Amino acid sequence: MAEIDYNALPDADFRAMVREFVETEYPQDMRFLSRRIRMDEARPWWNKLVKKGWIAPNWPRELGGMALDPGKMVIYLEEMERHGVMRAADQGITQVGPILMKYGTDAQKDYFLERTRTGDIIWAQGYSEPNAGSDLANLQTSAVIEGDEFVINGMKIWTSFAQESTHIYLLVRTDREAKKQKGISFLLIESDLPGITIRPIRNIAGHEEFCQVFFDNVRVPRDRLVGKLNEGWTVAKALLGHERLNIGSPRRPQYALMRLEMLARAKGLMDDAGFVDRFVAIKLDLEDLASLYGRYVEQVKRGEPLGPDVSQLKIWAMEVWQQLTDLLVETGAEDGVIEGAHDVAGVELDFLAPFYYARPGTIYGGSSEVQRNILSKYVLELPS
Amino acid sequence: MASEHAAMLKESVADFIARGMDIGRVRKLRGTPGEYDRAVWKQMADLGWLGIAVPEAYGGMGLGLAETAIVAEGLGRALAPEPYTACAVLAATILAEGDNEPLKADVLPRIAGGDLIPAVAWQEQAGATDGAHVALAATPFEGGYRLNGTKRYVVGAAGADAYIVAGKADSGLVLGYLDRNAAGVTQALEPLADGRHFGTLALDNALVPRERVIATGDAAAAALSRALDRARAVASAELYGVMSRALEMSVDYMKTRVQFGKPIGSFQALQHRAVNLYIQQQLASATLDDSLRVLDRDPEPRQRAAIASRLKARCSDAGVRIAREAIQIHGAIGFTDEYDAGLYLKRALVLAAWLGTATQHRRRYAALALQSED
Ligand SMILES: Cc1cc2nc3c(=O)[nH]c(=O)nc-3n(C[C@H](O)[C@H](O)[C@H](O)COP(=O)(O)OP(=O)(O)OC[C@H]3O[C@@H](n4cnc5c(N)ncnc54)[C@H](O)[C@@H]3O)c2cc1C
Repeated sequence: MAEIDYNALPDADFRAMVREFVETEYPQDMRFLSRRIRMDEARPWWNKLVKKGWIAPNWPRELGGMALDPGKMVIYLEEMERHGVMRAADQGITQVGPILMKYGTDAQKDYFLERTRTGDIIWAQGYSEPNAGSDLANLQTSAVIEGDEFVINGMKIWTSFAQESTHIYLLVRTDREAKKQKGISFLLIESDLPGITIRPIRNIAGHEEFCQVFFDNVRVPRDRLVGKLNEGWTVAKALLGHERLNIGSPRRPQYALMRLEMLARAKGLMDDAGFVDRFVAIKLDLEDLASLYGRYVEQVKRGEPLGPDVSQLKIWAMEVWQQLTDLLVETGAEDGVIEGAHDVAGVELDFLAPFYYARPGTIYGGSSEVQRNILSKYVLELPS
Repeated sequence: MASEHAAMLKESVADFIARGMDIGRVRKLRGTPGEYDRAVWKQMADLGWLGIAVPEAYGGMGLGLAETAIVAEGLGRALAPEPYTACAVLAATILAEGDNEPLKADVLPRIAGGDLIPAVAWQEQAGATDGAHVALAATPFEGGYRLNGTKRYVVGAAGADAYIVAGKADSGLVLGYLDRNAAGVTQALEPLADGRHFGTLALDNALVPRERVIATGDAAAAALSRALDRARAVASAELYGVMSRALEMSVDYMKTRVQFGKPIGSFQALQHRAVNLYIQQQLASATLDDSLRVLDRDPEPRQRAAIASRLKARCSDAGVRIAREAIQIHGAIGFTDEYDAGLYLKRALVLAAWLGTATQHRRRYAALALQSED
């Protein structure tokens, strides 16, 4: 790995360096995608980042990361976002890696971290079940200890891209008697073990994005347990605050705003007071989101933990994003309901893809309703 | 009498839909170039639905908009892909409003009988609201008009037998009738969110002989404008059907889906959401009833246009909002293709965009109703 201490660079130099790299290396036709990306499409870019030593900006140096401090990390992400770089299936980097660093055994770290970094292992998140969505702690998929093994039975659902994962990080019930959150454990397993069946589910955009995963007497060695037995809830929750910060980034709505602005200019709507009023209201909603986001970023830079109030970021980011894509479709009029990218007043635009892409933002990662419950209970301390 | 008829019609629509209009059929037809089912169309004709907007003198029933709205609402609830509003209302009304008696006598009975499906190609730009936007060249010659140019956003084009085309001559608007396979007419299809298609027509010296001219000049503009407003009202009824079913689905789901040991319908956050949607649906319903009543009294064009705009604005907004929030209320399952909520959202999007969006209609309303009186 390169021996550069990125944190020692002046911010401006570091920014210029990241910018130069993405501008020269990132494929032009993959900028600002309005859908989630599949691993086979992401692979060439992933490999470039691996080769450069930049795939895991938040991981320590000795594990092949860039060891960026929070300030540099923000610059890195900003430059990626500014250029419209896709987010690959990076749950291994953002979720599994940090979890293993905190709770993993040495053997687990040795085996999984390097393979995750290089992309030899691709992770899927096996949390939700048919009766455990918002109420995740109600999960029923069980893992029973038999000798040196866990025997897993049950079903997961909405597992994004399980069909192209090599591994699943899994929440399972290991104690039926304990209180809901108590009897849950965190396992790392291969996606192709005997007894596992993966069925892709088509979403409303027509993509096979998420899957149902069935477990029928699936056996894994006991050393696949991360953290203590029955304490998987703590392991899984450890990263939630950061996830909400991530999802609360103004990036995705900004892509949609750019599209809307392109459309408006092409159609001459910037001279139309009625449209401009709506457009600017949403644009300012988004700029103010960026300010709010910046406040949390500062908090992270100072090394302070994130509290439950960070939920507001996710709510606002996702709701503004949806309003933007609603306005995009409506402004397109008849053109807005034609499938696929097509030419509108000389500009190539896809109206429906961003609209569909924004829909589940208020559902996954804790729905907007559930986030509001968190804010009212833990921040405003309202009685429940 | 009218209400008696309405009650009977309501029953027959409900009955027909319960018997043959399941969503499985809708799924099978979506994305296919056939798009809708000719046999179902014929059954609709046999029930008299296709003749509702056709005057009695031409083999129809000559009933009001209120009756067409009943059919459209039912078709909306069932997400039927059959282009009732576009072909049996918009097209039939334009023809009936024209002054070409022999053409009417030839064509209208066949429309009412379900043997002929005409689609209306009046539009060239997205968001156009009336004949004033028509630019397609209609050049007069001895025997009629020669049409050159492109038409877009033609609903029902996929299976249509004929087109009603709006062109512009020096003397004003021209409405002509063209067979699907007339020389100089080429059709392409653009896929829509809801699995249907917009037709795009390329007209290259397509000839409309005098016998096929529906109307010209002021008469043509008046016919098109009246037909568009009436079709807006019927499309609003269809949207009302879509939103009503989407709301029912959501409320039912809230009663049965359990999270945290309770039906999710017991959470006040969702209760208020559902109530807000209910209020939107009720506003749409009340506006629909009142508008249809006024429109059926044949108000002068300006009042007619203002009412149609008010109605389409409400139903477009309420329809999309209710269907959009239905996805949210259902959680991840609402985002799947297998579940019907997404189909309702897609149909709502298409109906809300067609014949003018909510924003456009609020504007049109402002221009019609808020203008100073001098
Ligand atoms: C595109 C997408 C990708 C996903 N990827 C993954 C993945 O990779 N791995 C994974 O494990 N999961 C994944 N999920 C699942 C996601 O985490 C769940 O959808 C989410 O937790 C909500 O659960 P649910 O869908 O069962 O909805 P439900 O929990 O049934 O919620 C239905 C409705 O009820 C509301 N509601 C529920 N409880 C309350 C309450 N207490 N108060 C007020 N309102 C409430 C919700 O907000 C929602 O509107 C994904 C989901 C989507 C849509």
